[in-house]
Amino acid sequence: MWSEKYRPSKPDQLIGNEDARLALSAWLAEWKPGRKAALLVGPPGTGKTTFVNLLARANGMNLVDLNASDVRTKDKLQRRMGEAMSTVSLFGERSLIFLDEVDGLAGRADIGAVEFIKESVKESQNPIVMAANDPDSDEIKKLSSSCVTLRFRPPPPREVEMYLREVARGEGLAVGDEELRACVREAAGDVRQAINLLQSTGNSSADEARGRYKDRDRTLSEALNGFFGAADKGEALVSLRDLSMSAFEKVREVQRSVVKSGLPPEAMAKALEVVSRADLLIGRMMKAGEWRMLRYLDRLFAEELFPVVKGMGVRYTGQDDLPFPVLVRVWNDSKKVREVSVRYAARAHTSGMSARSQDLPYVFALCSRKKFREDLERAIGLDADPDLLESFDKFLAKEAVR
Amino acid sequence: MAEKKRIVVGGWFDLPRLGTEVWSTLVRKQGVVYDKSTGFKFDAATDVRGAVRTLRSAGVEVELTLRCWICGKEACPGCPYLSSCDRASVSTFCLCADHAPEKSVFEEYARAFDANLKV
Repeated sequence: MWSEKYRPSKPDQLIGNEDARLALSAWLAEWKPGRKAALLVGPPGTGKTTFVNLLARANGMNLVDLNASDVRTKDKLQRRMGEAMSTVSLFGERSLIFLDEVDGLAGRADIGAVEFIKESVKESQNPIVMAANDPDSDEIKKLSSSCVTLRFRPPPPREVEMYLREVARGEGLAVGDEELRACVREAAGDVRQAINLLQSTGNSSADEARGRYKDRDRTLSEALNGFFGAADKGEALVSLRDLSMSAFEKVREVQRSVVKSGLPPEAMAKALEVVSRADLLIGRMMKAGEWRMLRYLDRLFAEELFPVVKGMGVRYTGQDDLPFPVLVRVWNDSKKVREVSVRYAARAHTSGMSARSQDLPYVFALCSRKKFREDLERAIGLDADPDLLESFDKFLAKEAVR
Repeated sequence: MAEKKRIVVGGWFDLPRLGTEVWSTLVRKQGVVYDKSTGFKFDAATDVRGAVRTLRSAGVEVELTLRCWICGKEACPGCPYLSSCDRASVSTFCLCADHAPEKSVFEEYARAFDANLKV
């Protein structure tokens, strides 16, 4: 993708926030132990993280990059930052400690983290730079007395246009002024988005490209159908990124679309394999509190699921497309199954969930043979409850017909 | 209707006496730079949008203008994005007509940055 190809590699290749970037470089050049930290505040995509990375590299410093969303407690911060704060190389070379997303420190689990950072700023032998998105968060207000605050904002449209012209020149792309300006206006200060738009303009007509990216907050069906019908991985990625919903829901809706798509078995297996890996990713992310891994979810779908489903006619067809009578039956049957599973679980010394997911399918299969049914029903204890026994028998009869 | 106060972002400007509370909000909370002899200035640490809001509530309507990063001249006159650009929320420098993007000025832009970069 062009947005990757033209990612800045030197501090002077970024655009926008010139005074903030220079102020940060001056702060770093003059920094001595005991001085204030730098706090970069601004919306995502304004170049805070990129510039800190490039500045550390330009100064030959080792960057110790911590994300406050991952390292949220005082203990974890102490473990990860402690060594970096006090270590200076034999030749006096310093590291740059970068604490990203400090406005993510909130709630009971983070008690003491902000105070620890404030103490660290005073004691650190290495400069500390912090970044945050929300200037009004309580954490930022608490930290601001220990920091030099610099605001990062989206670059003005004319500078975005200048960068796009540089990209177009590099790609040998002839684009008209109006087309270019339409991309700039559409991207609304997001340089990466502007480059993606330009790339699409290069691949197709400008109007089509703009149309594809137009609605930033698209509905679920527009976004998912945009993903399944995308022309390339880049466009698929943008479609998913535009979809603002929880990661869980995103995976569930993608899975629903894949399952109902009628893909050939081999493609279906591959697609579901990717979906299951996405599910694993979320599970691990939740368990470890590694929220940063969220950024890989859309990329996983775009890089691995999209090539499998591309051109296979997969569509998102909505959430509740089961006919109402079928839904009612599912609800009723699940109630009976739950009642049976509770009794079974008590007898088998297992949980209701394990009973439902692991044991009952076999019990139902065995009950379909009359010679086992009575013994099993007695073993589960259904014979003590005639109503439940009757409804269970009816349920089995329906299952047998099905 | 009162005339709009034209403020060049990054340049010094004066204000009428607006009271201690407004001064305190602008300088202490919103990071407006103040110097007794030269006046006020919006810089990289200023919450420009907040400061404009404070001034408006104090009866001062503001029109913001950006400066050219390469030559320091006012950048907004004649800009094709003038009507759609939200100057209170974009970064503080831009490009003037003499250094318009059509003139392949990226190298010049980067050089102007490099000249001030402390590495």
